[in-house]
Amino acid sequence: METEILRAEDLKIAYGERVIVEGMDLSIARDKITTIIGPNGSGKSTLLKAITRLIHFQEGSVFLEGKDLLSFKPKALASRIAVLPQIHTAPADFRVKDLVSYGRMPYQKMLSGKSREDERIVEWAMEQTGVAAFRDKSIYEISGGEAQRVWIATVLAQQPQVLFLDEPTTYLDIAYQLEMMQLVKRLNRETGIGIVMVLHDLAQAMEVSDHVIVIKKGKKYAEGRPEEVITCRMMKDVYDVQCEIMRIQGRTKPLIAYAPV
Amino acid sequence: MSKTNANRTGNSLLRTGAVWLILAAALAAMFLIALGVGSSGYSLKEILHALGQAEPANTTERNIRIIVTQLRLPRALLALLVGSCLSVAGALLQSVMRNPLADPGTIGVSAGAGTAAITILLLFPHLSYSVPLFAFLGAALACLLIYLLAWKGGVDPVRIILSGVAVNSVLGGYNAFLQLQNSDNLQGVLGFMNGSLAGRSWQEVRVMAVYAAAGLLLALCCIKNANALQLGDEMAKNLGIRVNGARVALSAVSAFLAAATVSEVGMIGFVGLVAPHIARMLVGSNYKILIPTCILTGSLMVLLADTLGRTVWPGTEIPVGIVMSVTGGPFFLYMLRKRGNFRGN
Repeated sequence: METEILRAEDLKIAYGERVIVEGMDLSIARDKITTIIGPNGSGKSTLLKAITRLIHFQEGSVFLEGKDLLSFKPKALASRIAVLPQIHTAPADFRVKDLVSYGRMPYQKMLSGKSREDERIVEWAMEQTGVAAFRDKSIYEISGGEAQRVWIATVLAQQPQVLFLDEPTTYLDIAYQLEMMQLVKRLNRETGIGIVMVLHDLAQAMEVSDHVIVIKKGKKYAEGRPEEVITCRMMKDVYDVQCEIMRIQGRTKPLIAYAPV
Repeated sequence: MSKTNANRTGNSLLRTGAVWLILAAALAAMFLIALGVGSSGYSLKEILHALGQAEPANTTERNIRIIVTQLRLPRALLALLVGSCLSVAGALLQSVMRNPLADPGTIGVSAGAGTAAITILLLFPHLSYSVPLFAFLGAALACLLIYLLAWKGGVDPVRIILSGVAVNSVLGGYNAFLQLQNSDNLQGVLGFMNGSLAGRSWQEVRVMAVYAAAGLLLALCCIKNANALQLGDEMAKNLGIRVNGARVALSAVSAFLAAATVSEVGMIGFVGLVAPHIARMLVGSNYKILIPTCILTGSLMVLLADTLGRTVWPGTEIPVGIVMSVTGGPFFLYMLRKRGNFRGN
């Protein structure tokens, strides 16, 4: 694939004796939205962490831009890919702008301050995510949805080619979830940044993804365009859930109707 | 809008500046008070005169001059240096352990330095010139031990504090045992157990100044890593920080600062807890601003505690370590009750 930026071959990831992911081959496109779905405990977050080098993998190899992922220096890696972990914390008094500025760390030396370039990109990241208006507030003073956008701005300031998001909507109410999905889609379309995310909500995965990868018990079950992959059969096989996939006039993507409970 | 934004940013800079100015003024005032009060009190005029270049005109002036420049001045300066080092050591540990309750005194880092120093003094007296080196090794070992004990697939802030308290208590027991075994040679040991600035001279000030300069410079190099570690391990890693390397480096600088104070004036607890906490309340958790603020709050605190210790009970010197324990303990409890400095998302 010509637009491929990251490739994993025969990946095995284990915590001690417990094997989480095995025999995984993966190809991530440079400018698409790729979504990894799967039930709880299927290993999707673990996979995301391994291909972004947050955790070790035991076997196989990962290539970023054709080079061994393990050969990158930490800062060089951090300026190519950025990952927003599911759980992140900051001291309550940190100001929005300061937090976003930390996204520039991969470009700074130990003692150097912010360059004019850094300032410009921090501004850009705050504008893109719509957090510029409360740049001087502490993250304690803003809502959960706004805080999540601030974190997106922080990883965006790393100017990565690909942004990895681990369940970016998990702790948000539905309005903020939709807003987050819109933001992700807009960032991808307007800035050309590649997105790889783990999602729980299949309707959201259907709506925003260009490519969906389904994981079942640590192995790849299927991948492809969302409407090809998210099917009644997959829902039965992977989640053990009955559903109908419906097409509705006026909407480009099909909807999922779960069996009545 | 950009105008109000600029104003707000300006305001926060202004606020930091104001905090520094007020702390510096308080420190200067406290410094003059520390020179003036004691078994004999002197006026500001007498102090300034004694500090001046003019030759003393009579015996009284000569006595004042000796007391001020040879006793109180070095002691006050030592308080500033020790306070800065302990406060910054605490602030760094708090970032490494992601816990605002971490303090070299309460979690056994200082005790590690003290234990090593006491062991050398009592059992290998011919090595006593290398006490500072061993104090540092002891502090670093204590750090490592706390980590190993608290590690369980990751570092949990509460487990860190608990294993630190356990390490502190074991080392305390060992120190007490050594004392019992060497009751004929307690002078040197007691000095380490209860940190005190009494009887310290320019010699200690010179040595401490070198340690403080080196340690605080190193601490400035830690600012970015300290800030990144506050965001959690995964986020720090994402930002290109070598997390384990950063942890080791910050712990080492912290252990160095704590060990330097222990080898010169003995163990003083709670400064590394209380002073950074006050600094955080004043200027927030950004280490770029926090570290300089910690230097001010820490030196102010030790100077205040030492001055209180030698004046509050006329005729008796209460070691500064005891003053800090008596006031710091309740403060520690107060902080335990009102956690919530760190907010998960």
